[in-house]
Amino acid sequence: MDSADLDKLNDKDKAELRQFITNEQQRTRLQAQTHTLTDTCWKKCVTGPIKSGSLDKTEQVCMASCVERFMDLNLLTTQLLTNKMRK
Amino acid sequence: MDSDSVKKAVIRQILTESDMANARQLIDKIDQNCFEKCVPKPGSSLSSGEKTCVTQCMDKYMAAWNAVNATYMKKLQEAVGHST
Repeated sequence: MDSADLDKLNDKDKAELRQFITNEQQRTRLQAQTHTLTDTCWKKCVTGPIKSGSLDKTEQVCMASCVERFMDLNLLTTQLLTNKMRK
Repeated sequence: MDSDSVKKAVIRQILTESDMANARQLIDKIDQNCFEKCVPKPGSSLSSGEKTCVTQCMDKYMAAWNAVNATYMKKLQEAVGHST
């Protein structure tokens, strides 16, 4: 397929493709955030040497808390900054 | 090609590229974090102990990724639920 083929798209398929791309962009943003969060929380929670290919119970709990607290912080930062800008 | 097959081809191409980009990001993070964990003092080659460590570290990192993804999606859905 080359870019000339795009001219063959009718309006209905064009609209569908636009919607698909918007959804994919959203999915990619969330995935990128998961990559960043995994990196951040791995550094916080997996502190010992690697002894197996799975997370132990402590690490599992830590990873979940790490994600949740990071999101709390994100919300808090947004609120604090919003308040500052209102003043 | 008619409109429908062009649309399907574009969708397929986007999905392939996005899968590739996702895999590249994952490999990049595994490289950084598992190098840090498994190769504290780089020698003339990877030792068998280091290779074992990297194999386990990779599985563990992917388990961590899945755990983060599950928690993140759950939290996001809760947030959406509260705002509507």
